[in-house]
Amino acid sequence: MSIEVRSVSKQFGDFHALDDVSVSLPTGQLTALLGPSGGGKSTLLRIIAGLEDADAGTVEIEGRDATRLPAQQRNVGFVFQHYAAFKHMSVAKNVAFGLEIRKVAKEEVRARVDELLRLVHLEQFADRRPSQLSGGQRQRMALARALAVRPSVLLLDEPFGALDAQVRKELREWLRHLHDEFPVTTVFVTHDQEEALEVADEIVVINAGRVEQVGSPDSLYDAPASAFVMSFLGPVTTLDGALVRPHDVELVAPGHGTGGRVARITRIGFEVRVEVRTAAGRTDLTLTRSAARARGIAVGEQVEVALVAGATSVPAPGAVARELLPAR
Amino acid sequence: MVSWRHARRLVVVGYLVLLVGWPMSLVVQATFADGLDTLARTLGDPAVRSALGLTVVVAASAVVVNTVFGVGMSLLLVRTEFRGKRVLSALLDLPLSVSPVVVGLAIVLAYGQDGWFGPALEDAGFRVVFALPGIVLATAFVSLPLVIREVVPVLTEIGTDEEQAARSLGAGAWPTFWRITLPAIKWAVVYGVVLTMARSLGEFGAVKIVSGNLEGATQTATLLVEQRYQDFDQGAAYATAFLLAAVSVACIVVISFLRPEEKP
Repeated sequence: MSIEVRSVSKQFGDFHALDDVSVSLPTGQLTALLGPSGGGKSTLLRIIAGLEDADAGTVEIEGRDATRLPAQQRNVGFVFQHYAAFKHMSVAKNVAFGLEIRKVAKEEVRARVDELLRLVHLEQFADRRPSQLSGGQRQRMALARALAVRPSVLLLDEPFGALDAQVRKELREWLRHLHDEFPVTTVFVTHDQEEALEVADEIVVINAGRVEQVGSPDSLYDAPASAFVMSFLGPVTTLDGALVRPHDVELVAPGHGTGGRVARITRIGFEVRVEVRTAAGRTDLTLTRSAARARGIAVGEQVEVALVAGATSVPAPGAVARELLPAR
Repeated sequence: MVSWRHARRLVVVGYLVLLVGWPMSLVVQATFADGLDTLARTLGDPAVRSALGLTVVVAASAVVVNTVFGVGMSLLLVRTEFRGKRVLSALLDLPLSVSPVVVGLAIVLAYGQDGWFGPALEDAGFRVVFALPGIVLATAFVSLPLVIREVVPVLTEIGTDEEQAARSLGAGAWPTFWRITLPAIKWAVVYGVVLTMARSLGEFGAVKIVSGNLEGATQTATLLVEQRYQDFDQGAAYATAFLLAAVSVACIVVISFLRPEEKP
Protein backbone atom coordinates (compact mmCIF):
# COMPACT_ATOMS: atom_id res chain seq x y z
CA MET A 1 0.00 0.00 0.00
CA SER A 2 1.36 3.38 -0.97
CA ILE A 3 -0.74 5.49 1.39
CA GLU A 4 -2.13 4.11 4.60
CA VAL A 5 -4.50 6.36 6.55
CA ARG A 6 -5.49 5.04 9.96
CA SER A 7 -8.27 6.41 12.22
CA VAL A 8 -7.76 10.01 11.17
CA SER A 9 -10.02 12.62 12.76
CA LYS A 10 -10.06 16.35 12.19
CA GLN A 11 -12.24 19.03 13.70
CA PHE A 12 -12.62 22.67 12.74
CA GLY A 13 -14.26 24.24 15.77
CA ASP A 14 -17.44 22.22 16.31
CA PHE A 15 -17.40 20.83 12.80
CA HIS A 16 -16.21 17.24 12.35
CA ALA A 17 -14.48 17.38 8.97
CA LEU A 18 -13.18 13.81 9.36
CA ASP A 19 -14.41 11.27 11.86
CA ASP A 20 -12.20 8.22 12.38
CA VAL A 21 -11.33 7.69 8.72
CA SER A 22 -9.18 4.75 7.65
CA VAL A 23 -8.33 4.05 4.04
CA SER A 24 -5.58 2.27 2.07
CA LEU A 25 -4.57 3.64 -1.30
CA PRO A 26 -2.73 1.12 -3.46
CA THR A 27 0.57 1.85 -5.23
CA GLY A 28 0.52 2.93 -8.84
CA GLN A 29 -3.22 3.45 -9.00
CA LEU A 30 -5.40 6.40 -9.78
CA THR A 31 -7.80 6.83 -6.88
CA ALA A 32 -10.67 9.30 -6.63
CA LEU A 33 -11.91 10.73 -3.34
CA LEU A 34 -15.52 11.39 -4.27
CA GLY A 35 -18.16 13.15 -2.23
CA PRO A 36 -20.27 16.25 -1.81
CA SER A 37 -18.75 19.63 -0.91
CA GLY A 38 -17.88 19.93 2.76
CA GLY A 39 -17.79 16.15 3.15
CA GLY A 40 -14.15 16.09 4.24
CA LYS A 41 -12.44 14.74 1.10
CA SER A 42 -10.20 17.80 0.57
CA THR A 43 -9.30 17.81 4.26
CA LEU A 44 -8.22 14.16 3.96
CA LEU A 45 -6.07 14.97 0.92
CA ARG A 46 -4.49 17.94 2.69
CA ILE A 47 -3.73 15.79 5.74
CA ILE A 48 -2.01 13.23 3.49
CA ALA A 49 0.04 16.07 1.96
CA GLY A 50 0.92 17.53 5.36
CA LEU A 51 -0.78 20.84 4.61
CA GLU A 52 -3.14 20.18 7.49
CA ASP A 53 -2.55 18.33 10.77
CA ALA A 54 -4.82 15.52 11.87
CA ASP A 55 -6.22 15.76 15.41
CA ALA A 56 -5.87 12.00 15.76
CA GLY A 57 -4.72 9.05 13.66
CA THR A 58 -1.69 8.31 11.50
CA VAL A 59 -0.65 8.69 7.87
CA GLU A 60 1.89 6.37 6.29
CA ILE A 61 3.40 7.08 2.87
CA GLU A 62 5.39 4.33 1.14
CA GLY A 63 5.78 2.46 4.39
CA ARG A 64 7.13 5.49 6.27
CA ASP A 65 5.19 7.12 9.11
CA ALA A 66 4.53 10.66 7.86
CA THR A 67 2.11 11.81 10.56
CA ARG A 68 4.57 14.27 12.11
CA LEU A 69 6.52 15.00 8.94
CA PRO A 70 6.22 18.57 7.60
CA ALA A 71 4.88 18.96 4.06
CA GLN A 72 8.29 19.71 2.54
CA GLN A 73 9.69 16.36 3.66
CA ARG A 74 6.86 14.11 2.45
CA ASN A 75 7.88 14.11 -1.21
CA VAL A 76 4.32 14.45 -2.44
CA GLY A 77 3.25 16.42 -5.48
CA PHE A 78 0.23 18.61 -4.81
CA VAL A 79 -1.98 20.27 -7.41
CA PHE A 80 -4.44 22.93 -6.26
CA GLN A 81 -7.86 23.75 -7.65
CA HIS A 82 -6.84 27.33 -8.41
CA TYR A 83 -3.42 26.34 -9.81
CA ALA A 84 -1.34 28.16 -7.15
CA ALA A 85 0.99 29.27 -9.94
CA PHE A 86 4.00 31.30 -8.82
CA LYS A 87 2.85 34.48 -10.56
CA HIS A 88 6.18 36.29 -10.59
CA MET A 89 8.05 33.40 -12.26
CA SER A 90 8.07 32.15 -15.82
CA VAL A 91 6.46 28.81 -16.65
CA ALA A 92 9.89 27.15 -16.83
CA LYS A 93 10.90 28.64 -13.45
CA ASN A 94 7.66 27.39 -11.93
CA VAL A 95 8.42 23.86 -13.08
CA ALA A 96 12.05 24.15 -11.97
CA PHE A 97 11.18 25.37 -8.45
CA GLY A 98 11.21 22.03 -6.64
CA LEU A 99 14.45 21.01 -8.36
CA GLU A 100 16.18 24.30 -7.53
CA ILE A 101 15.13 23.95 -3.89
CA ARG A 102 16.75 20.49 -3.96
CA LYS A 103 19.91 22.08 -5.41
CA VAL A 104 19.89 19.89 -8.50
CA ALA A 105 22.62 20.79 -11.02
CA LYS A 106 21.65 23.48 -13.55
CA GLU A 107 21.94 21.34 -16.71
CA GLU A 108 19.93 18.59 -15.11
CA VAL A 109 17.20 21.07 -14.10
CA ARG A 110 17.03 22.41 -17.64
CA ALA A 111 16.79 18.93 -19.13
CA ARG A 112 14.09 17.85 -16.68
CA VAL A 113 12.07 21.06 -17.21
CA ASP A 114 12.23 20.63 -20.99
CA GLU A 115 11.12 17.04 -20.66
CA LEU A 116 8.16 17.95 -18.47
CA LEU A 117 7.07 20.91 -20.56
CA ARG A 118 7.01 18.60 -23.57
CA LEU A 119 4.99 16.09 -21.57
CA VAL A 120 2.32 18.69 -20.75
CA HIS A 121 2.53 20.30 -24.23
CA LEU A 122 3.75 23.66 -22.96
CA GLU A 123 7.25 23.69 -24.48
CA GLN A 124 6.54 26.85 -26.52
CA PHE A 125 5.30 28.67 -23.39
CA ALA A 126 8.43 28.18 -21.27
CA ASP A 127 9.22 31.91 -21.01
CA ARG A 128 5.64 33.12 -20.52
CA ARG A 129 4.17 34.23 -17.23
CA PRO A 130 1.38 32.08 -15.78
CA SER A 131 -1.01 35.02 -16.25
CA GLN A 132 -0.53 34.66 -20.02
CA LEU A 133 -1.80 31.06 -19.97
CA SER A 134 -5.37 29.76 -20.09
CA GLY A 135 -6.80 27.91 -17.08
CA GLY A 136 -6.18 24.50 -18.63
CA GLN A 137 -2.59 25.41 -19.51
CA ARG A 138 -1.97 26.73 -16.00
CA GLN A 139 -3.21 23.48 -14.50
CA ARG A 140 -0.96 21.48 -16.82
CA MET A 141 1.95 23.67 -15.71
CA ALA A 142 1.03 23.00 -12.07
CA LEU A 143 1.00 19.29 -12.83
CA ALA A 144 4.44 19.47 -14.48
CA ARG A 145 5.72 21.41 -11.47
CA ALA A 146 4.43 18.76 -9.08
CA LEU A 147 5.84 15.89 -11.19
CA ALA A 148 9.26 17.53 -11.62
CA VAL A 149 10.48 16.39 -8.21
CA ARG A 150 9.48 12.77 -8.90
CA PRO A 151 7.03 12.59 -5.99
CA SER A 152 6.17 9.23 -4.50
CA VAL A 153 2.50 10.21 -4.63
CA LEU A 154 0.65 12.82 -6.64
CA LEU A 155 -2.29 14.53 -4.93
CA LEU A 156 -4.78 16.66 -6.85
CA ASP A 157 -7.42 18.76 -5.09
CA GLU A 158 -10.38 19.30 -7.46
CA PRO A 159 -7.83 19.79 -10.24
CA PHE A 160 -10.39 20.55 -12.94
CA GLY A 161 -12.93 22.30 -10.74
CA ALA A 162 -12.14 25.81 -11.97
CA LEU A 163 -12.18 24.92 -15.68
CA ASP A 164 -15.05 25.05 -18.13
CA ALA A 165 -16.81 21.84 -19.21
CA GLN A 166 -14.95 21.27 -22.50
CA VAL A 167 -11.45 21.77 -21.05
CA ARG A 168 -12.40 19.66 -18.04
CA LYS A 169 -13.26 16.73 -20.25
CA GLU A 170 -10.07 17.05 -22.29
CA LEU A 171 -7.87 17.35 -19.23
CA ARG A 172 -9.30 14.37 -17.44
CA GLU A 173 -8.82 12.15 -20.47
CA TRP A 174 -5.31 13.50 -20.70
CA LEU A 175 -4.69 12.78 -16.99
CA ARG A 176 -5.86 9.20 -17.52
CA HIS A 177 -3.46 8.75 -20.45
CA LEU A 178 -0.64 10.39 -18.52
CA HIS A 179 -1.21 8.03 -15.64
CA ASP A 180 -1.26 4.98 -17.92
CA GLU A 181 2.10 6.12 -19.28
CA PHE A 182 3.69 7.11 -15.93
CA PRO A 183 1.91 5.15 -13.21
CA VAL A 184 2.77 7.29 -10.17
CA THR A 185 0.33 6.72 -7.30
CA THR A 186 -2.28 9.41 -7.79
CA VAL A 187 -5.15 10.57 -5.60
CA PHE A 188 -7.58 13.20 -6.77
CA VAL A 189 -10.50 14.86 -5.07
CA THR A 190 -13.69 15.49 -6.99
CA HIS A 191 -17.38 16.07 -6.38
CA ASP A 192 -18.17 15.08 -9.97
CA GLN A 193 -19.23 11.40 -10.10
CA GLU A 194 -18.81 11.26 -13.87
CA GLU A 195 -15.20 12.40 -13.51
CA ALA A 196 -14.53 9.77 -10.86
CA LEU A 197 -16.22 6.97 -12.81
CA GLU A 198 -14.39 7.87 -16.00
CA VAL A 199 -10.88 8.42 -14.69
CA ALA A 200 -10.33 6.43 -11.50
CA ASP A 201 -9.19 2.84 -10.96
CA GLU A 202 -10.66 3.01 -7.50
CA ILE A 203 -13.15 5.34 -5.83
CA VAL A 204 -13.40 6.23 -2.16
CA VAL A 205 -16.81 7.77 -1.44
CA ILE A 206 -16.63 10.21 1.47
CA ASN A 207 -19.62 11.88 3.05
CA ALA A 208 -20.06 13.82 6.30
CA GLY A 209 -16.51 13.03 7.40
CA ARG A 210 -16.80 9.28 6.94
CA VAL A 211 -15.88 6.75 4.27
CA GLU A 212 -19.12 5.43 2.78
CA GLN A 213 -17.64 2.86 0.42
CA VAL A 214 -14.42 1.93 -1.35
CA GLY A 215 -14.28 0.05 -4.63
CA SER A 216 -13.82 0.04 -8.37
CA PRO A 217 -16.12 2.30 -10.39
CA ASP A 218 -18.08 -0.74 -11.61
CA SER A 219 -18.52 -2.30 -8.20
CA LEU A 220 -19.65 1.01 -6.72
CA TYR A 221 -22.12 1.58 -9.51
CA ASP A 222 -23.45 -1.98 -9.54
CA ALA A 223 -23.34 -2.74 -5.82
CA PRO A 224 -23.70 0.47 -3.85
CA ALA A 225 -23.48 -0.06 -0.10
CA SER A 226 -25.98 2.62 0.78
CA ALA A 227 -28.71 4.84 -0.59
CA PHE A 228 -26.23 7.72 -0.41
CA VAL A 229 -23.63 6.02 -2.60
CA MET A 230 -26.30 4.92 -5.06
CA SER A 231 -27.83 8.37 -5.41
CA PHE A 232 -24.44 10.12 -5.52
CA LEU A 233 -23.08 7.97 -8.32
CA GLY A 234 -25.92 8.38 -10.76
CA PRO A 235 -29.59 9.21 -11.29
CA VAL A 236 -32.06 7.35 -9.07
CA THR A 237 -35.80 6.93 -8.76
CA THR A 238 -38.05 4.88 -6.50
CA LEU A 239 -40.11 1.82 -7.32
CA ASP A 240 -42.09 -0.10 -4.70
CA GLY A 241 -40.08 1.38 -1.82
CA ALA A 242 -36.69 0.67 -3.40
CA LEU A 243 -34.10 3.07 -4.81
CA VAL A 244 -33.37 2.05 -8.41
CA ARG A 245 -31.78 3.49 -11.54
CA PRO A 246 -34.21 4.96 -14.12
CA HIS A 247 -32.51 2.97 -16.88
CA ASP A 248 -33.21 -0.24 -14.94
CA VAL A 249 -36.98 0.37 -15.06
CA GLU A 250 -38.95 -0.90 -18.07
CA LEU A 251 -42.49 -0.83 -19.32
CA VAL A 252 -44.03 -4.32 -19.09
CA ALA A 253 -47.17 -6.07 -20.29
CA PRO A 254 -50.30 -5.68 -18.11
CA GLY A 255 -50.27 -7.92 -15.05
CA HIS A 256 -46.46 -8.07 -14.82
CA GLY A 257 -45.63 -4.88 -12.89
CA THR A 258 -46.81 -1.88 -10.91
CA GLY A 259 -49.60 0.10 -12.54
CA GLY A 260 -49.49 3.85 -13.10
CA ARG A 261 -50.27 6.73 -15.43
CA VAL A 262 -47.75 8.52 -17.64
CA ALA A 263 -47.54 12.06 -16.23
CA ARG A 264 -44.82 13.56 -18.38
CA ILE A 265 -42.47 12.73 -21.23
CA THR A 266 -39.22 14.66 -21.77
CA ARG A 267 -36.80 14.01 -24.59
CA ILE A 268 -33.14 14.95 -24.13
CA GLY A 269 -31.12 14.06 -27.19
CA PHE A 270 -31.10 10.28 -27.64
CA GLU A 271 -32.82 9.69 -24.32
CA VAL A 272 -36.53 9.81 -23.47
CA ARG A 273 -37.45 10.33 -19.81
CA VAL A 274 -40.87 9.11 -18.73
CA GLU A 275 -42.45 10.07 -15.41
CA VAL A 276 -45.03 7.57 -14.18
CA ARG A 277 -47.42 8.23 -11.27
CA THR A 278 -48.07 5.03 -9.33
CA ALA A 279 -50.14 4.45 -6.20
CA ALA A 280 -46.89 4.58 -4.13
CA GLY A 281 -45.63 7.80 -5.71
CA ARG A 282 -43.49 8.62 -8.72
CA THR A 283 -41.25 6.39 -10.80
CA ASP A 284 -38.99 7.73 -13.54
CA LEU A 285 -37.67 5.59 -16.35
CA THR A 286 -35.52 6.26 -19.37
CA LEU A 287 -35.89 4.72 -22.81
CA THR A 288 -33.78 5.15 -25.87
CA ARG A 289 -35.34 7.30 -28.53
CA SER A 290 -35.83 4.31 -30.85
CA ALA A 291 -37.40 2.15 -28.13
CA ALA A 292 -39.84 4.94 -27.25
CA ARG A 293 -40.72 5.38 -30.91
CA ALA A 294 -41.18 1.64 -31.55
CA ARG A 295 -43.50 1.23 -28.59
CA GLY A 296 -45.35 4.51 -28.89
CA ILE A 297 -46.04 6.24 -25.58
CA ALA A 298 -48.26 9.20 -24.69
CA VAL A 299 -49.04 11.32 -21.65
CA GLY A 300 -52.08 10.06 -19.75
CA GLU A 301 -51.62 6.45 -20.87
CA GLN A 302 -52.06 3.66 -18.30
CA VAL A 303 -48.86 1.57 -18.10
CA GLU A 304 -47.17 -1.00 -15.89
CA VAL A 305 -43.52 -0.70 -14.83
CA ALA A 306 -41.05 -3.25 -13.41
CA LEU A 307 -37.32 -3.65 -12.84
CA VAL A 308 -35.18 -5.34 -15.48
CA ALA A 309 -33.45 -8.58 -14.50
CA GLY A 310 -30.22 -8.00 -12.55
CA ALA A 311 -31.08 -4.41 -11.69
CA THR A 312 -29.33 -2.68 -8.78
CA SER A 313 -31.57 -1.59 -5.93
CA VAL A 314 -31.23 -0.51 -2.32
CA PRO A 315 -33.98 0.29 0.19
CA ALA A 316 -35.12 3.88 -0.31
CA PRO A 317 -34.15 6.19 2.59
CA GLY A 318 -37.81 6.70 3.52
CA ALA A 319 -38.37 2.93 3.57
CA VAL A 320 -35.28 2.43 5.72
CA ALA A 321 -36.57 4.93 8.23
CA ARG A 322 -39.90 3.13 8.38
CA GLU A 323 -38.21 -0.24 8.88
CA LEU A 324 -36.14 1.17 11.72
CA LEU A 325 -39.23 2.36 13.59
CA PRO A 326 -40.07 0.05 16.49
CA ALA A 327 -42.93 -2.31 15.66
CA ARG A 328 -46.16 -1.43 17.39
CA MET B 1 -24.65 68.99 -16.74
CA VAL B 2 -21.39 70.55 -17.81
CA SER B 3 -21.66 73.64 -15.61
CA TRP B 4 -22.25 71.51 -12.50
CA ARG B 5 -19.23 69.39 -13.28
CA HIS B 6 -17.15 72.52 -13.78
CA ALA B 7 -18.32 73.93 -10.48
CA ARG B 8 -17.38 70.72 -8.68
CA ARG B 9 -13.98 70.71 -10.26
CA LEU B 10 -13.47 74.35 -9.29
CA VAL B 11 -14.30 73.59 -5.66
CA VAL B 12 -11.84 70.68 -5.51
CA VAL B 13 -9.04 72.54 -7.26
CA GLY B 14 -9.66 75.70 -5.23
CA TYR B 15 -9.55 73.73 -2.00
CA LEU B 16 -6.26 72.04 -2.92
CA VAL B 17 -4.67 75.28 -4.10
CA LEU B 18 -5.64 77.26 -1.01
CA LEU B 19 -4.68 74.49 1.40
CA VAL B 20 -1.60 72.95 -0.22
CA GLY B 21 -0.43 74.46 -3.50
CA TRP B 22 -0.30 78.14 -2.71
CA PRO B 23 1.37 77.89 0.76
CA MET B 24 3.91 75.40 -0.58
CA SER B 25 4.70 77.62 -3.52
CA LEU B 26 5.37 80.46 -1.08
CA VAL B 27 8.02 78.31 0.64
CA VAL B 28 9.68 77.74 -2.72
CA GLN B 29 9.37 81.43 -3.53
CA ALA B 30 10.92 82.47 -0.22
CA THR B 31 13.79 80.01 -0.72
CA PHE B 32 14.66 81.30 -4.16
CA ALA B 33 13.79 84.98 -3.56
CA ASP B 34 17.46 85.91 -4.12
CA GLY B 35 18.39 83.17 -6.51
CA LEU B 36 20.45 80.27 -5.16
CA ASP B 37 22.20 82.38 -2.52
CA THR B 38 19.97 81.46 0.41
CA LEU B 39 20.10 77.78 -0.43
CA ALA B 40 23.89 77.83 -0.84
CA ARG B 41 24.41 79.80 2.37
CA THR B 42 22.11 77.45 4.30
CA LEU B 43 23.83 74.35 2.99
CA GLY B 44 27.16 75.85 4.01
CA ASP B 45 25.99 76.12 7.62
CA PRO B 46 27.46 73.19 9.64
CA ALA B 47 24.40 73.07 11.94
CA VAL B 48 22.10 72.64 8.94
CA ARG B 49 24.34 69.98 7.46
CA SER B 50 24.44 68.13 10.75
CA ALA B 51 20.63 68.36 11.09
CA LEU B 52 20.06 67.07 7.55
CA GLY B 53 22.54 64.25 8.11
CA LEU B 54 20.89 63.28 11.38
CA THR B 55 17.45 63.31 9.75
CA VAL B 56 18.66 60.99 7.00
CA VAL B 57 20.25 58.60 9.52
CA VAL B 58 17.13 58.61 11.70
CA ALA B 59 14.74 58.13 8.79
CA ALA B 60 16.85 55.33 7.33
CA SER B 61 17.03 53.54 10.70
CA ALA B 62 13.28 53.89 11.23
CA VAL B 63 12.66 52.52 7.74
CA VAL B 64 14.89 49.49 8.34
CA VAL B 65 13.37 48.76 11.76
CA ASN B 66 9.79 49.21 10.60
CA THR B 67 10.28 47.21 7.41
CA VAL B 68 11.74 44.20 9.17
CA PHE B 69 9.27 44.28 12.06
CA GLY B 70 6.42 45.42 9.82
CA VAL B 71 6.72 42.46 7.46
CA GLY B 72 7.20 40.10 10.42
CA MET B 73 4.18 41.47 12.26
CA SER B 74 2.09 41.33 9.09
CA LEU B 75 2.91 37.65 8.62
CA LEU B 76 2.06 37.03 12.26
CA LEU B 77 -1.26 38.84 11.94
CA VAL B 78 -2.37 37.25 8.68
CA ARG B 79 -0.84 33.76 8.74
CA THR B 80 -1.27 32.73 12.35
CA GLU B 81 -4.07 32.53 14.88
CA PHE B 82 -3.45 33.51 18.48
CA ARG B 83 -5.33 34.94 21.43
CA GLY B 84 -5.41 38.70 21.56
CA LYS B 85 -4.83 39.11 17.83
CA ARG B 86 -7.62 41.64 17.49
CA VAL B 87 -6.31 43.65 20.41
CA LEU B 88 -2.86 43.69 18.87
CA SER B 89 -4.27 44.74 15.52
CA ALA B 90 -6.11 47.63 17.17
CA LEU B 91 -2.99 48.63 19.14
CA LEU B 92 -1.05 48.91 15.89
CA ASP B 93 -3.15 51.91 14.92
CA LEU B 94 -2.34 53.69 18.15
CA PRO B 95 0.80 55.41 16.84
CA LEU B 96 -1.31 57.03 14.11
CA SER B 97 -4.06 58.21 16.40
CA VAL B 98 -2.02 59.36 19.40
CA SER B 99 -0.35 62.75 19.24
CA PRO B 100 3.42 62.44 18.64
CA VAL B 101 3.99 64.67 21.69
CA VAL B 102 2.44 61.96 23.83
CA VAL B 103 4.70 59.38 22.18
CA GLY B 104 7.72 61.52 23.02
CA LEU B 105 6.68 61.87 26.64
CA ALA B 106 6.05 58.14 26.92
CA ILE B 107 9.52 57.33 25.63
CA VAL B 108 11.14 59.77 28.04
CA LEU B 109 9.17 58.20 30.89
CA ALA B 110 10.15 54.66 29.90
CA TYR B 111 13.77 55.16 28.86
CA GLY B 112 14.70 58.46 30.54
CA GLN B 113 16.83 58.83 33.63
CA ASP B 114 13.88 58.29 35.93
CA GLY B 115 12.32 55.64 33.71
CA TRP B 116 12.23 51.89 34.07
CA PHE B 117 15.09 51.00 31.77
CA GLY B 118 16.90 54.34 31.66
CA PRO B 119 19.27 53.99 34.65
CA ALA B 120 20.19 50.41 33.81
CA LEU B 121 20.90 51.30 30.19
CA GLU B 122 22.88 54.35 31.24
CA ASP B 123 25.02 52.24 33.58
CA ALA B 124 25.74 50.01 30.61
CA GLY B 125 26.98 53.09 28.75
CA PHE B 126 23.97 53.27 26.45
CA ARG B 127 22.11 56.54 26.39
CA VAL B 128 18.63 56.50 24.87
CA VAL B 129 16.87 59.78 25.63
CA PHE B 130 18.50 63.01 24.33
CA ALA B 131 20.57 60.84 21.99
CA LEU B 132 20.29 59.10 18.63
CA PRO B 133 18.62 55.86 19.90
CA GLY B 134 15.77 57.87 21.44
CA ILE B 135 15.20 59.85 18.25
CA VAL B 136 15.14 56.66 16.18
CA LEU B 137 12.82 55.03 18.74
CA ALA B 138 10.37 57.95 18.64
CA THR B 139 10.44 58.12 14.85
CA ALA B 140 9.98 54.37 14.47
CA PHE B 141 7.07 54.53 16.93
CA VAL B 142 5.10 57.14 14.99
CA SER B 143 5.68 55.45 11.62
CA LEU B 144 5.17 51.90 12.91
CA PRO B 145 1.84 50.98 11.23
CA LEU B 146 2.64 52.28 7.73
CA VAL B 147 4.36 49.16 6.38
CA ILE B 148 1.96 46.83 8.22
CA ARG B 149 -1.13 48.58 6.89
CA GLU B 150 0.17 48.24 3.33
CA VAL B 151 1.32 44.63 3.60
CA VAL B 152 -1.56 43.05 5.57
CA PRO B 153 -4.27 43.47 2.88
CA VAL B 154 -1.95 42.14 0.16
CA LEU B 155 -0.96 39.12 2.27
CA THR B 156 -4.63 38.44 2.93
CA GLU B 157 -5.48 38.74 -0.75
CA ILE B 158 -2.73 36.48 -2.12
CA GLY B 159 -3.81 33.67 0.21
CA THR B 160 -1.71 30.65 1.13
CA ASP B 161 -1.95 28.51 -2.00
CA GLU B 162 1.39 29.56 -3.45
CA GLU B 163 3.15 29.18 -0.10
CA GLN B 164 1.64 25.72 0.36
CA ALA B 165 2.64 24.74 -3.16
CA ALA B 166 6.21 25.80 -2.36
CA ARG B 167 6.11 23.75 0.84
CA SER B 168 4.88 20.65 -0.94
CA LEU B 169 7.71 21.12 -3.46
CA GLY B 170 10.22 20.85 -0.64
CA ALA B 171 10.83 24.48 0.34
CA GLY B 172 11.22 25.22 4.06
CA ALA B 173 9.83 28.30 5.81
CA TRP B 174 12.75 30.58 4.95
CA PRO B 175 13.09 29.76 1.21
CA THR B 176 9.30 29.97 0.90
CA PHE B 177 9.37 33.46 2.37
CA TRP B 178 12.24 34.72 0.20
CA ARG B 179 11.22 33.13 -3.06
CA ILE B 180 7.41 33.16 -2.90
CA THR B 181 5.95 35.47 -0.23
CA LEU B 182 8.34 38.40 -0.50
CA PRO B 183 8.13 38.75 -4.31
CA ALA B 184 4.33 38.66 -4.01
CA ILE B 185 4.20 41.49 -1.43
CA LYS B 186 7.14 43.40 -2.92
CA TRP B 187 5.21 46.45 -4.08
CA ALA B 188 3.26 46.74 -0.86
CA VAL B 189 6.56 46.73 1.04
CA VAL B 190 8.05 49.36 -1.27
CA TYR B 191 4.98 51.54 -0.87
CA GLY B 192 5.08 51.12 2.90
CA VAL B 193 8.80 51.99 2.92
CA VAL B 194 8.24 55.19 0.96
CA LEU B 195 5.41 56.24 3.26
CA THR B 196 7.52 55.42 6.32
CA MET B 197 10.40 57.43 4.93
CA ALA B 198 8.21 60.46 4.21
CA ARG B 199 6.66 60.26 7.66
CA SER B 200 10.04 59.81 9.38
CA LEU B 201 11.66 62.76 7.61
CA GLY B 202 8.83 65.04 8.72
CA GLU B 203 8.47 63.88 12.34
CA PHE B 204 8.56 66.78 14.76
CA GLY B 205 6.56 66.45 17.98
CA ALA B 206 7.92 63.20 19.41
CA VAL B 207 11.48 64.00 18.33
CA LYS B 208 11.31 67.46 19.87
CA ILE B 209 10.69 65.93 23.30
CA VAL B 210 13.18 63.04 23.21
CA SER B 211 16.03 64.67 21.31
CA GLY B 212 16.98 67.55 23.57
CA ASN B 213 17.19 69.69 20.39
CA LEU B 214 20.93 70.28 20.72
CA GLU B 215 22.16 72.17 17.67
CA GLY B 216 24.78 70.26 15.71
CA ALA B 217 24.20 67.10 17.75
CA THR B 218 20.61 65.99 18.31
CA GLN B 219 18.76 68.57 16.24
CA THR B 220 16.91 67.10 13.27
CA ALA B 221 15.93 69.09 10.18
CA THR B 222 12.36 69.77 11.29
CA LEU B 223 13.56 71.00 14.69
CA LEU B 224 16.09 73.23 12.96
CA VAL B 225 13.39 74.77 10.77
CA GLU B 226 11.35 75.70 13.82
CA GLN B 227 14.30 77.11 15.71
CA ARG B 228 15.65 79.17 12.83
CA TYR B 229 12.18 80.49 12.13
CA GLN B 230 11.81 81.65 15.70
CA ASP B 231 15.33 83.13 15.69
CA PHE B 232 14.33 85.27 12.66
CA ASP B 233 16.75 83.37 10.39
CA GLN B 234 13.91 82.91 7.91
CA GLY B 235 16.22 82.18 4.97
CA ALA B 236 17.65 79.03 6.53
CA ALA B 237 14.20 78.01 7.77
CA TYR B 238 12.68 78.31 4.30
CA ALA B 239 15.58 76.64 2.54
CA THR B 240 15.59 73.63 4.92
CA ALA B 241 11.82 73.42 4.72
CA PHE B 242 12.14 73.44 0.96
CA LEU B 243 14.61 70.54 1.07
CA LEU B 244 12.28 68.52 3.29
CA ALA B 245 9.37 69.25 0.98
CA ALA B 246 11.46 68.33 -2.07
CA VAL B 247 12.25 64.90 -0.62
CA SER B 248 8.56 64.34 0.12
CA VAL B 249 7.62 65.35 -3.41
CA ALA B 250 10.29 62.98 -4.71
CA CYS B 251 8.68 60.22 -2.59
CA ILE B 252 5.30 60.95 -4.14
CA VAL B 253 6.79 60.92 -7.63
CA VAL B 254 8.47 57.59 -6.93
CA ILE B 255 5.18 56.15 -5.72
CA SER B 256 3.24 57.39 -8.73
CA PHE B 257 5.78 55.70 -10.96
CA LEU B 258 5.59 52.47 -8.98
CA ARG B 259 1.82 52.28 -8.69
CA PRO B 260 0.93 51.30 -12.26
CA GLU B 261 3.43 48.44 -12.05
CA GLU B 262 1.58 46.98 -9.15
CA LYS B 263 -0.64 44.95 -11.45
CA PRO B 264 1.67 42.83 -13.59
